[in-house]
Amino acid sequence: MSARKQVEEKRTDAPKHPVQAAAEAAIRRWSGPLTDDLVLHPGEFGLGNVPVRLKPDDTTTTVCGFCSTGCGLNVHLKDGRAINLSADTHYPVNLGMACPKGWESLTPLAAPDRATTPLLRNEATGAMEPIDWEYALFLFCERFKEIQRLHGAESVAWLGTGQITSEELAFLGALGKFGMGLVHGDGNTRQCMSTAVVAYKEAFGFDAPPYSYQDFEQSDVVVLIGSNLCVAHPILWQRLMRNRNRPEIVVIDPRKTETAMAATQHYAIQPKSDLTLLYGLANIIIASGCVKRDFIQAHTTGFSEFSNFVLPFTTERVCECTGLTSIEVWRLAQCIADGKAVSFWWTMGVNQGHEATRTAQAIINLALMTGNIGRPGTGANSITGQCNAMGSRLFSNTTNLLGGHDFLKPEHREKIAGILRMKDERIPRQNSWAYDQIVRGIANGKIKGLWIVATNSSHSWIHQKAFNEILSKLDFLVVQDMYHTTETAGRADLLLPAAGWGEKEGTFINSERRIGLVKRVSRSPGQALSDFNIFKLVAQYWGCGELFSRWSSPESVFQILKECTRGQPCDITGIADYQSIDALGGVQWPWPENGEAAPEQERRLFADGRFFHPDGKARFIFEEPRPPEESVDAEYPFMLLTGRGSSSQWHTQTRTGKSDVLRKLYPRVVHVEINPADAGRLQIAQGDMVSIASRRGEMTAMAFVTGTLQEGQVFLPMHYAAVNQLTFPSFDPYSRQPSYKSCAVKLRKLE
Amino acid sequence: MTAEADRAQKTLIDELLEEQQQMTVVERFARRHGRGGVPAQARYYRDLVPVSRPADGQQYGFAVDLDACTGCKACVSACHSMNGLEDEETWRGVGLLSDGAGVETAPYLQSITTACHHCVEPACLEGCPVMAYDKDPETGIVRHLDDQCIGCQYCVLKCPYDVPKYSAKKGIVRKCDMCSSRLAVGEAPACVQACPTEAIRIELIDKLEVSRAASAVGARLIPGAFASKYTKPATVYRSLRGVPASARPGDISHLQVEPAHWPLAAMLLLTQMGAGIFAMLAFIGLCRSRDFVAIKEVMSLAGFAAISTGLAASVLHLGRPLGAWRFFLGLKTSWMSREILAFGVFAGAAGLSTAANCAQRFGSLLPLHISEGLLVLSTAMTALIGMAGIACSGMIYIDTRRSFWTARLTFPRFFGTTALLGAMAGAVLAAWHGASARLDLLLITVAIVFRLALSIWEIASFKGALANAGDPNHRSSLIAWKLMRIWVFAQHECSAVSVLLAIAALSLVMRGESSEAAGVLMTGSFLACAAAQVIERLFYFTTVVAPRMPGGIA
Repeated sequence: MSARKQVEEKRTDAPKHPVQAAAEAAIRRWSGPLTDDLVLHPGEFGLGNVPVRLKPDDTTTTVCGFCSTGCGLNVHLKDGRAINLSADTHYPVNLGMACPKGWESLTPLAAPDRATTPLLRNEATGAMEPIDWEYALFLFCERFKEIQRLHGAESVAWLGTGQITSEELAFLGALGKFGMGLVHGDGNTRQCMSTAVVAYKEAFGFDAPPYSYQDFEQSDVVVLIGSNLCVAHPILWQRLMRNRNRPEIVVIDPRKTETAMAATQHYAIQPKSDLTLLYGLANIIIASGCVKRDFIQAHTTGFSEFSNFVLPFTTERVCECTGLTSIEVWRLAQCIADGKAVSFWWTMGVNQGHEATRTAQAIINLALMTGNIGRPGTGANSITGQCNAMGSRLFSNTTNLLGGHDFLKPEHREKIAGILRMKDERIPRQNSWAYDQIVRGIANGKIKGLWIVATNSSHSWIHQKAFNEILSKLDFLVVQDMYHTTETAGRADLLLPAAGWGEKEGTFINSERRIGLVKRVSRSPGQALSDFNIFKLVAQYWGCGELFSRWSSPESVFQILKECTRGQPCDITGIADYQSIDALGGVQWPWPENGEAAPEQERRLFADGRFFHPDGKARFIFEEPRPPEESVDAEYPFMLLTGRGSSSQWHTQTRTGKSDVLRKLYPRVVHVEINPADAGRLQIAQGDMVSIASRRGEMTAMAFVTGTLQEGQVFLPMHYAAVNQLTFPSFDPYSRQPSYKSCAVKLRKLE
Repeated sequence: MTAEADRAQKTLIDELLEEQQQMTVVERFARRHGRGGVPAQARYYRDLVPVSRPADGQQYGFAVDLDACTGCKACVSACHSMNGLEDEETWRGVGLLSDGAGVETAPYLQSITTACHHCVEPACLEGCPVMAYDKDPETGIVRHLDDQCIGCQYCVLKCPYDVPKYSAKKGIVRKCDMCSSRLAVGEAPACVQACPTEAIRIELIDKLEVSRAASAVGARLIPGAFASKYTKPATVYRSLRGVPASARPGDISHLQVEPAHWPLAAMLLLTQMGAGIFAMLAFIGLCRSRDFVAIKEVMSLAGFAAISTGLAASVLHLGRPLGAWRFFLGLKTSWMSREILAFGVFAGAAGLSTAANCAQRFGSLLPLHISEGLLVLSTAMTALIGMAGIACSGMIYIDTRRSFWTARLTFPRFFGTTALLGAMAGAVLAAWHGASARLDLLLITVAIVFRLALSIWEIASFKGALANAGDPNHRSSLIAWKLMRIWVFAQHECSAVSVLLAIAALSLVMRGESSEAAGVLMTGSFLACAAAQVIERLFYFTTVVAPRMPGGIA
């Protein structure tokens, strides 16, 4: 054992009196069972030293199941099962690094609260009682069919997720709409990136984030808007840190976040003033003549209307709205105008707003008019949230028909029906309701049965109290999840136990459109089944198994999905199979069948300036800003901001809360960040317990007093269930995405 | 049944449940890495570890670029996974420095990644009674020898950075060894390998330079860290942005109750009582030989019993007591070793002097006669050895440099308790044993005086600390006042009861009434007094502020 040998050598090296040395050897124990427990040994497989008891007999790679960065993980296997993992050195996304969630990916699989058998609520006692799969499936079909018989096919809906594989999402969507005859289904992706979807669709003609992560490394100006990259996407920050151009890093965010601290410029604008700022910047840049006329002429439409529109967005107006000084506004405009390769990146600070779509498009407008698109280090780039939000965008069959198609277009319905070998009448000729509309449908009695898959709505949906009251109106609620303890599972009539990430196979699509492979490296507990297999069973018990006879395995579904993308901007017909995804380190879409063996590893869109509208041109889209529906007043004088708490927390914490290590890395109690001036006025000291109340609810948190927040604002991390009791249910009218980032609250110090 | 028929019988549910458990990843996806060879990650960390081994006067040290560290905390997880630590065990932590929460200070946030600082003068190593720490002469890495450790946790108290972590399950402490076996073969430590922004690296540190810089007045690694002159930590934190002096740890307002260490508290109280009893007996012997003769047997037996029980209790504190015989290894630097030695001798002396004091009883068996003077002398010698042991006990805590455990606060407690419990126990025994009323009077009076003196001193120092935010023990007093207030009252109520009962006993004795009634009262007084001292010791351990690196929001 190397460590012991090393110690032996060291001992002979040490110049000691022989008697002393002999005595020490007798009475100092340099080795033994406790020492051996930590001894490292060459792990082989390129791993370097690993603990002896965790020495693998093989390794395989997989893609992380938390966020949309889509890091490659190197799973250490023993007898075909995962015993440990490390970041994948070779994966083009993360280059050998991972965030704490990635490192801890395997831990939540072993949590004691895993659902291991279907559970049915005993109506008399209210307790969940185990039942077998046969009965669970019988009940599932019986109850939902009964509801449909009484209230119509549309009265059963589903809420899906961005956390399961594309193949599973497609199965759920196809089973729901084509097999069970449901009309309304949506996903929790509505909460994170539907704004980006609509913004891109309208501006580019297709939901197409144009970048690769390499753009972080190639910009000379990086503008981050409503993105706390350091904490929310640490590996993307890593990519930015690899930038050798000494880039200007500009952060536009009301808070001085970790990212703002690390940036070269921070603009602490007032919450929800971003749209006005972006229009004002456009006005200055246009007025200064710093726009790329040739590019605009050749590749866009609507610029002259746009330049007229932004004229009233004077610097004075911008300053008044944002709280910035005119020097700051001009400095920012100049920085963007002077940049040779400017990339704009946005996350939830933009997506979750009452006028989010137009804000995202205002960012796109800046990129278009300065010609910062299609070239290395540029782009108007939405950084997505969940590991497979991008897969959901293409394949969940909710907002879009499979493969980014349109339910309203007969030729699209015909194409998909042909590929699926079914009659096109099976495809609804209308769009699904969005998440909030489904919730409203439950409230007004139109939806009576709901199937929630891999999302924790009872925690995460905005204005949570109302949502949970509405849920109780359902006749039948089915929750399909890894855990029986989620807030949502606690309200289910029937719980279906699902296998988690790492216990099943399929593909995810990351933020830069990279299709990555996830593999089964761990056994699921008890009778938990992959979501894929659950859908397969539902299809059979529902009586539409025949329709899915070709959907035998995730990989066979992948082949079907490939066909669905043929001729689309997201064409992936050039990918042979899972093995090739694995071998290539993931493949970005598009990769159409063209005979070429391997795509370049990092590709961006629009190098040719051709967008996806029929005329090939991008659109300038704009609209007069509106104030948020709820603003502060004398009674509720603080604006509540919400966001990611730490890099070790993920959404509603159903998984990250199960790891001892991750739990150590975030505060034990929910804390509220308060500006020192406000704290002083309310005589709140650091560590005091504070009540935070909105018109909808109240919660308690520990005060953390810091100047990183502006006066009149407070911040709460979103990972605690109580936070969404406060949030105000306002939605972007185009994307139907909830506006989590601002609502009015009041504070009270608790004794 | 044939396999085919078997399959026909199976439902789809059975098939899928079976399929779900099949592990086919190895067959389906050929391994991508060859066996052996250079670690793949080397390409990223090659520049983050020194090319050469430390020269004379140098050692390895962690160097942290604060400007690059943005708080992703991957270092903590990677260290955990790559070293195969227990579920809840972490050797690295990430804390937070933030602006001083003042209206004027600029917004500031800085994550602080921290692990063992592999100090030039490691306090853990100096404190360890069994030499379970080794500072490698070449690399300077402070390594913990897990199989040598007896689980006394003194290193946990000694380290001002909260580095060694005790595992009750394993019965030992473990800590960061800078991945010494990785470094030995040119690999980077786990944290260095895993940092996405190359914020942690290993550098060659000049030990003399570290010592010199650390010795400067007020030198500390970062704001909120313990004064570096104590252990001379080898870690370097760098920031071009600068760390504002007003920056405060994220957990600055967090009041943490430290472990009570019951076996240690029992050991301290019992050994102190034992030494007190011997001291009191010697005192009696020096004053009045008649009383000494009357009470020497029972008092020395009681003293010896207290000491033995105390030492037995201390064994319960150890995670792996079987290795404790190696305690002499640390005599050169460790007060723990010295305490063990002193109490070992003390127990022996107490045993001998108890035997001598009781020898008369066995006069027919033992032909030897020991003069009374010799008995008093041996009792006094025993008491003196006991005092030396108590001094060592005190030094154990004083040597941790915690502000609640300074000599000024520790010695009055320890020696005060010694005198108090010695007098109290003596008074109880005298009352029950029917010694002279004069002796009763003397001992009860002494006990009351000691009790009052100690209580007044306790209350005065507690109140002073509580009232003054600048007092070094303000936080300790806050922990007691905010989190354990009922115990604060209980302690002083017990003291008051003890004094009242003792006064009642005193009046009985003065009126010449039955010694038995006085005995009952004094027993009650003693128990109340002992309870007060138990609570006092509870506070001694639980309200001490353990220095540590800045923590996260708490």
